[in-house]
Amino acid sequence: MTDLLNQPSNSQFKFSREKILAFTLILPSLILVFITYLYPAIFTFVISFAEYDIIRLKIKKFIQFKNFEFLISNYFFTSSVLRTIYFGFLICVFTTILSFLIALLLNEKFIGKAFLRVMIVLPWAVPSVVSGVLWGQMFHADTGFLNALLYQLGVISGYKIWLADPLVALHVIAIAEIWKAIPFMTLFFLSGLQSLPSEVFEAASVDGANVFQRFSNILFPLMLPIAIPLFLIQFVLAMKSFDTIFVLTRGGPGGGTTTLNYFIYQEAFETFNLGRASAAAYVLLIITLAVVLIPTISRFLLKFFWGNK
Amino acid sequence: MKKNLILKNFFIYFSALIVFLIMFFPLYGLILTSIQPENIIRSRNLSFFPTEIIFTHFAEVLKPNHISNIYEGIKNSLIVSFLTSFLCIILAFPAAYSLARLNLPAKNIILGTLISIYFLPTILFVIPLFVILVSYQLDDTILSLVVPYTAFTLPFVIWILKSFIDKLPVEVEEAAKIDGCSTLQLLIHIIFPLLRPGLIAAFIFAFILSWVEFLTPLIFTNNLKISTVALGLFRSTIDIKIGQQAAAAIITLIPVIILMIFFQQYITKVVLSGSDK
Repeated sequence: MTDLLNQPSNSQFKFSREKILAFTLILPSLILVFITYLYPAIFTFVISFAEYDIIRLKIKKFIQFKNFEFLISNYFFTSSVLRTIYFGFLICVFTTILSFLIALLLNEKFIGKAFLRVMIVLPWAVPSVVSGVLWGQMFHADTGFLNALLYQLGVISGYKIWLADPLVALHVIAIAEIWKAIPFMTLFFLSGLQSLPSEVFEAASVDGANVFQRFSNILFPLMLPIAIPLFLIQFVLAMKSFDTIFVLTRGGPGGGTTTLNYFIYQEAFETFNLGRASAAAYVLLIITLAVVLIPTISRFLLKFFWGNK
Repeated sequence: MKKNLILKNFFIYFSALIVFLIMFFPLYGLILTSIQPENIIRSRNLSFFPTEIIFTHFAEVLKPNHISNIYEGIKNSLIVSFLTSFLCIILAFPAAYSLARLNLPAKNIILGTLISIYFLPTILFVIPLFVILVSYQLDDTILSLVVPYTAFTLPFVIWILKSFIDKLPVEVEEAAKIDGCSTLQLLIHIIFPLLRPGLIAAFIFAFILSWVEFLTPLIFTNNLKISTVALGLFRSTIDIKIGQQAAAAIITLIPVIILMIFFQQYITKVVLSGSDK
């Protein structure tokens, strides 16, 4: 008891001791993260302004902005940037909508709900190589289910080689990515729905609001704060996707499925042009940051100009 | 009102069926392909139910000299995934405690940085890591996979554990502190047992994320001395035997599916734990 009474006199000392302890506990994690993230990020930044000698593992010479200039004038690069943004947008729009609908379904009571939830979470644990194999077989020109199904239904007159068309191939990859992304977002939406107070809905349905009114006036505004970060996170993750592209199309046909991430991989580990790859990696980083920051900045600006009225 | 209810129920079960079909059909197709003879897979008579069940594809894949080298892959993936999950927990547990309970300066900045790192493009870090590993001749080793995996998964694991610690009652810790318990004793004897669901969830997350990782082993094991299941499976896609490819895919899937089904409640808890604060 006397210890407790004496505390004020040595609280200054205790305070700093706790800080040191807190720091010691987190230090190993921080060291690992800095070694594997910060140092490489600086390294990539430096060689994005240089020509890198892959055999001697040395910087050959600094060439200022040449790497970036090359990229901007390169058609493959600019088209892959646009493709990446389209691809990311496509995936996150569809994933968000579908996940939200599935979460609404899982929020209802019905027999077999627990089973359905397991089935929905399953694709998350499917290694993306497996999902590549799986969707590759689904859209396979000779043996795919899709061809067989559409042929027998009379929708197509002959078997189609889906992955040979760049635009179709890009969307096939997007389907594979959406299928894999749905589980996680559904769980987050579900937890959001479950945290909503049920009184709001009861009051609304007593007041005679129909399903659509309840959706647009109550559910939608309440879920928006959850949906926007999920949407952005999915956008960022979709732009990172690599495995499915690698397994299904290898960026082809004719570069039609080369997203920026895949472009960087090719530059770095197929043509071993590390300087150029690093420059492209920084472009991807900037796009990623832009996606994350644009909503924050626009909200800040909105608040700044209209908020204090 | 009653008619409305029946209509609503019909609608619910109908959409549940549709969702089930969409989410499960790709996996079903894979299973179907893996247990049917190659000539049936390649025939144009579409059938959604197996007409002839065989297990030769699995037997072929499991032969020691198969192209995907599945034993080697499973062995390496198990070692790497276990080591990664273990390391993640050891590093993340004190870090999460420090973030959740102690008076750590710049706490929010540290947590924010850790979480945002998870969303940055992986390739940005992979290029220099590759150079470092090659220059120290550490590529193609277990270490070259475990260290990056741990770093990639760690922020996520810290976040999971922190949200679990946030939910523990503070009173227990305060009582223990009054009884003269040191922080280390507190961590080992009191928080650790209380945190079991969180630790299990975090372990599974780290395990699955390491099991499915593809880009890192693809680049860091370029001489193919070490193969993981994901890499082995990818190599089997070069072969044209579709049945065997599907069988290999299913063997790769089995461990994670088992983990998912058994620990589904823990995984759901992770997401739910963040919501109702």
